[in-house]
Amino acid sequence: MAPAFERERRSVRITRRCLGGLASHADIWFCLFVCVVPFLALRVYSFTGPGGTSAIENFQYVVGSVGENLFWSIRIAFLSLAIDLAIALPAAYAIVRYPFPGKRFLYSALALPLYVPGAVIGISLVLTFNFTYHLTTSVWGLVLAMTVGTFPLMLTPLIVALKDLPPVFEEAAECLGASRWQTFWRIVFPLIGPGVSAGLMLSFIIVFNEYLVTLFVHPPEVTTAPLRIFNLVRTAGLLPTTAALAVTMQLISFAAVLLFFRVFGTRYLKGTYLI
Amino acid sequence: MTGQPLSLPIPGVAPGTARRERRRALTGLAMLLPAIVVSLLFLYYPLVFIVQMSFTLANTFLSPAGPTATLENYGAMLSRYLPNLGVTIQLAGLATLVDLLFGIPFAYILVRKVRYRDIVRAFMVFPMFGALYIAFGMRFILLPGGPATPLFELFNIPNTAVLYSLPSVVFAMSIFTFPFMVMNVGTALSNVDPTLEEAAACLGARPWQTFVRILLPLTRAGIVAGALMVFGWSLGTFAEPLLLGSVNEQKTLAWTLYLKGVVQTDYGLATTMGVVLLAFAFVVTYFSLRYSRGALIE
Repeated sequence: MAPAFERERRSVRITRRCLGGLASHADIWFCLFVCVVPFLALRVYSFTGPGGTSAIENFQYVVGSVGENLFWSIRIAFLSLAIDLAIALPAAYAIVRYPFPGKRFLYSALALPLYVPGAVIGISLVLTFNFTYHLTTSVWGLVLAMTVGTFPLMLTPLIVALKDLPPVFEEAAECLGASRWQTFWRIVFPLIGPGVSAGLMLSFIIVFNEYLVTLFVHPPEVTTAPLRIFNLVRTAGLLPTTAALAVTMQLISFAAVLLFFRVFGTRYLKGTYLI
Repeated sequence: MTGQPLSLPIPGVAPGTARRERRRALTGLAMLLPAIVVSLLFLYYPLVFIVQMSFTLANTFLSPAGPTATLENYGAMLSRYLPNLGVTIQLAGLATLVDLLFGIPFAYILVRKVRYRDIVRAFMVFPMFGALYIAFGMRFILLPGGPATPLFELFNIPNTAVLYSLPSVVFAMSIFTFPFMVMNVGTALSNVDPTLEEAAACLGARPWQTFVRILLPLTRAGIVAGALMVFGWSLGTFAEPLLLGSVNEQKTLAWTLYLKGVVQTDYGLATTMGVVLLAFAFVVTYFSLRYSRGALIE
């Protein structure tokens, strides 16, 4: 009698554990599905043709009619990433390797844009561009706005990478007679490569998909692709072609993320808001 | 010879080291200079500018007689635009609650039970591409004739009752901020030793007791920091209320600010709303950063 009872209890326990495991995996996949479902829906919609047929023509619209917007997006992303990197490399190096007072405060001050709502950045920049800098008709205003907004995303992975790098390599290089410039470009820069790419990847996906600050500060002749999507959704309603553009944007961004994960893993994203 | 220190003080070294230290500090600051200049010019000066402008009487900002100081904008904010602030806070708070409800179990399972974490991480970046795509996608799903129509027919409710409503806006907002919440809670959870849970289980605690008595107190800092961060970010919500909300949800501060500042060019009111939004975001972020680990810079 007793062993049978024991066996039954064990089987109940095993069943319960199996169910628990199943439920937890189900929860993970459910939440993931909800996260991806807007994208999936847009992908389905982007293949909808007139009369319910599937149509690949919507994607021809992306290269044709809105190709210019896509081109602007890419150009602005590259310009602001270049400026970002040029400013962030010496800044990160100074923060990690050089002693000076007020380091914590300076870092927080530089990381602030992450926490300012986009609409506030937008209105403050458009007013100063208008009244002080006279940059409203120049692309550089938009580029600089993007640069400032994504600067912390570039800086933080660089700091993480530099902190992980022991200073012995630089000391060895210096002992062997390398100048400080040579040490940086031949030793430090290659070794913090993953951090640099993490910063580039994060900033790229933010700048490339930015529509809010762009809506405020874009010059009249420049419309980036996300802004075009925003305008189209607001004025023309939902169109499969707009969905095709949105899907293209997300796929490009996702490809950047996947490439980064494949090559470097997630270690260098520590401290940034991407896990 | 006994009692002599091993390293003899050599005259002249100490002052030289001090000078070198100072020079290194100056070099460091010089390397930071471009970053400081750019953020002063394009972040801090504009923010100071809108604070100034919010205290200035409309249309006197550039007048030759000089700007006239006033509190009128803040008066208008209090008398007419308090509901807008209320809606903004309500939406952000609800989105944060939804995130907490789904994010804590998700982060726990992800950290403790899942081996395919990198796949999950890769797919979790989709919401970060922007609230615009989420709002667009959700709008298509919920529109009459969209993929969710059979579901609505099943429960016999009209599509627009859900599409233009508070829940759909909150839902979209919480999808957008879900990864940030999971990131914060997950980091806090992965710092908790799993043996503590095992010990609690050995001592006869039920799973929910382990969760409430052991895990929650140990991860409270991460959870509070994550919630505050998500709340701060949600305050600036823009596309979701616009595409998914009814007139009531479209009153959010960010959108009103855009209408006032860019469409109606009422700079005084727009900047006042910006300052209010900024103040809320800063207070929330300050507490969030105080709670979080934030030990990147030592």
